[in-house]
Amino acid sequence: MTLNPSVMLIIILEIGLPMAFTQSLAGNLAVCFIAFCYLMVNRASLKTISFVMLISLPLAFGTGWSFIAFGTGDVWHQAFLQVSRLFAYIFLGMTLTLTTQVRDILLSFINHLHLSPTFAYGLFAAFNLLPRIQRQVKTIRYSANLRGITYHLWQPQLYFKAILSALQWSDDLAQGMASHGFSEGADRTITYHDNLPKWQWGLAIILIASYLILSLLT
Amino acid sequence: MQTVQQNKAHWSLRDVIFLAIIAIFFGIIYQVWGYMYYALAATPLKPFANDLTLGVWIMAGPMAGVLLKKVGASFLGELLAATVEMLLFSSWGASTLLSGSIQGLGSELGFTATGYKNWDKLGIALSVVTSTIVTFAWDLFSNGYLHYQPMMIIGLFLIRLVSIGFFAGILVYWIKQLLDRTGLIK
Repeated sequence: MTLNPSVMLIIILEIGLPMAFTQSLAGNLAVCFIAFCYLMVNRASLKTISFVMLISLPLAFGTGWSFIAFGTGDVWHQAFLQVSRLFAYIFLGMTLTLTTQVRDILLSFINHLHLSPTFAYGLFAAFNLLPRIQRQVKTIRYSANLRGITYHLWQPQLYFKAILSALQWSDDLAQGMASHGFSEGADRTITYHDNLPKWQWGLAIILIASYLILSLLT
Repeated sequence: MQTVQQNKAHWSLRDVIFLAIIAIFFGIIYQVWGYMYYALAATPLKPFANDLTLGVWIMAGPMAGVLLKKVGASFLGELLAATVEMLLFSSWGASTLLSGSIQGLGSELGFTATGYKNWDKLGIALSVVTSTIVTFAWDLFSNGYLHYQPMMIIGLFLIRLVSIGFFAGILVYWIKQLLDRTGLIK
């Protein structure tokens, strides 16, 4: 059972927002558990999940420890609460990104959440440049090194040169897309159809409501 | 036939691609910061690591505002950066959209306060102040900052102000100055 990306996004935001304010260990653990089950049902890669867990362990450790060291009141409870919240956010976030492709996510948002096609296709265009952008960052640094200069992250030069490349590439890409028939704001023929049965919205409401009730009660 | 619109109030395809490419560029550049953050974040100093590096993540907002000079540019610029972050880099997945929206709102309010008339020192400076306040208020709850000792909360706020002030303020202003000299940004 895979939920539509649009439904997933609403669930993530509507649970993620109140989660910042609630003080419920049980609520956070329930989110982790249900999100993990969902990931398993959808055969998300266990390897990726373990990797994400592994790199967030130091963060969780630091979070917990900081409350024990600098907290007020019941520091242990607060430490467990914040660590569980950190994992709840990570699991919640993974449910969308590990079970669906970028393309399906953006196209679903166009179909169901009124995302403007200009934004979706603009993002697609930029994403396809990823390898070129990575190369460009190296080129900028190496060519500076050849002149005996190192660009540091706290200096404006590296960002400045990146912005100049972005300016040129975005002009080229936008013109290229226009010449291939992309008209901004015009009605588009929609060739992508995804399934969004009404029960999924129902399930979203049930999940969000149960989370709110659980975290208010515990 | 002109299909790439040049209207200033409206978001053109070019603007979207421009900001998205910048977001990817910055995302790649930031990966270096990731290591520094991790080194500190595994210790009880994690909240300090958070606040010390936060300015870097906020940069995309005021940068977008200064580059496009539009209502909503900072908010959307930051949201786009968070979207790129979610889809390409982050282990936080869709949760970055939440923090991205908060950060975007924070940067946007500074320019709103000038009535969208000042995209220079004043606008950037106000944006620094509003994004520090808004993101800190969010972290008081979401990261449980409220439960730290009072002196620590004040310390964290000041560190965050310095970090955002440098990266999303001074550095953005320096970049803007370099760009102004090229005459490529209107």
